[in-house]
Amino acid sequence: MRVDTRAGCRLLVAACMIVGALHGQNTAYRQDPSWRAPQDAAARTNPLAHKPEAAAGGQKLFHRNCTECHGDDGSGLAKKHAADLLLPAVQVQTDGTLFWKITNGNVDRGMPSFSKLPELQRWQLVLYLRMLKQDVAPQTKDPRK
Amino acid sequence: MDFTLVRILLCLCLFATSLICRAQESPYIVTYDHHLEEPGNLEIETFSTIGIPRSDQNTYIAPYMELEYGVTARWTAELYLEGQGTAGDSAVFTGWRLENRFRPLKREHRINPVLYLEYENINEASRIQKEITGAPDLTSPNAELQPTKDRELEAKLILSSSVHDWNIAGNFLTEKNLSRNEGFEFGYAFGFSRPLSSLASGQNCRFCRENFIVGAEFYGGLGSTVDGVGFGDAAHYVAPVVSWQVSENASIHFSPAVALNGLGSPVLIRFGYSYEVRGFGNKLAQLLGGRH
Repeated sequence: MRVDTRAGCRLLVAACMIVGALHGQNTAYRQDPSWRAPQDAAARTNPLAHKPEAAAGGQKLFHRNCTECHGDDGSGLAKKHAADLLLPAVQVQTDGTLFWKITNGNVDRGMPSFSKLPELQRWQLVLYLRMLKQDVAPQTKDPRK
Repeated sequence: MDFTLVRILLCLCLFATSLICRAQESPYIVTYDHHLEEPGNLEIETFSTIGIPRSDQNTYIAPYMELEYGVTARWTAELYLEGQGTAGDSAVFTGWRLENRFRPLKREHRINPVLYLEYENINEASRIQKEITGAPDLTSPNAELQPTKDRELEAKLILSSSVHDWNIAGNFLTEKNLSRNEGFEFGYAFGFSRPLSSLASGQNCRFCRENFIVGAEFYGGLGSTVDGVGFGDAAHYVAPVVSWQVSENASIHFSPAVALNGLGSPVLIRFGYSYEVRGFGNKLAQLLGGRH
């Protein structure tokens, strides 16, 4: 009976790992046209916009929560085929839209919801996302990528 | 034997504090909120429940190991392996559980439902009390309890809200023992929590307020279709909870639970350590020669 239980455990762990490996990530990033913030959410302004020093906390949060998919520099595509956060298509979005996307995620495309972070910490992430753009020298980054 | 287990767990806690500094973990021990494991991440957790005895009981420690994997952003699977050691008796393996949580809705709402389904292959000596539907047998020796197998199906409706910095969660559970006719058993768990600080500091600090989440949870049984539904024949607990994120990937959890009635143990001391392996699925796929 004990042998059966052990064998069963091993099979279940192996099944979880294999299914996970097959379904855990997107194969390639393509923008999802249906992933749009409602108008009222998109119109929200960042309460930390006048506190640029809060971006340092945003950087720490970015490295804790985002780099696994988007990479250290936010370019994304190099690692898990996630969104390139430096793309103009991302950077032209309003603070409110980015906040809404961080909060809700896009679960069918592999982006989890980060509503577990306090609101202000999500706004700190938005603040840092804006700085990512400034950190990248134009000649090292092809915005069309 | 139980003292050996305590020593091992203390060593694990010390090891945790030696690591360098991740996502905020829920501080709850029993209650579930709507946040699932991030896709591709594996969380390895070890928790223990120490039962402080009443006059006719013995002290016990019930450790369990939990492997939690984010299959997709909507589906988290978990495997539990559990044991139990009772002072003056013995230490025994009490079984395993396979748990799945599904998030049916795509977006965040005021109330976010998550569906939970678990298969348990345990025995009557199990005392981890991850859910409570009645009251465990704390007086019979392990030699009598262990041979009695319980194969159970458990379903939960998890409802959870994020209100500003607060999380408020409620779970309603029903359990069916497939090994014998005990009818459908019911239970509940409620919890609320919040981090000590809303803003993240710019430094990597271990003792920053943002690394601590505090709250409370309430859980207990609601009887069964055989013995009657109600609060009377089941244990009920109230428990403050605290989690401390000691490093990027690790957190420590602590919760002393106090019984609200005369059933079960009067006090449960619960503590645990969790470690997250980021990108586990991706690494495994690479190892097996799969796509990158």
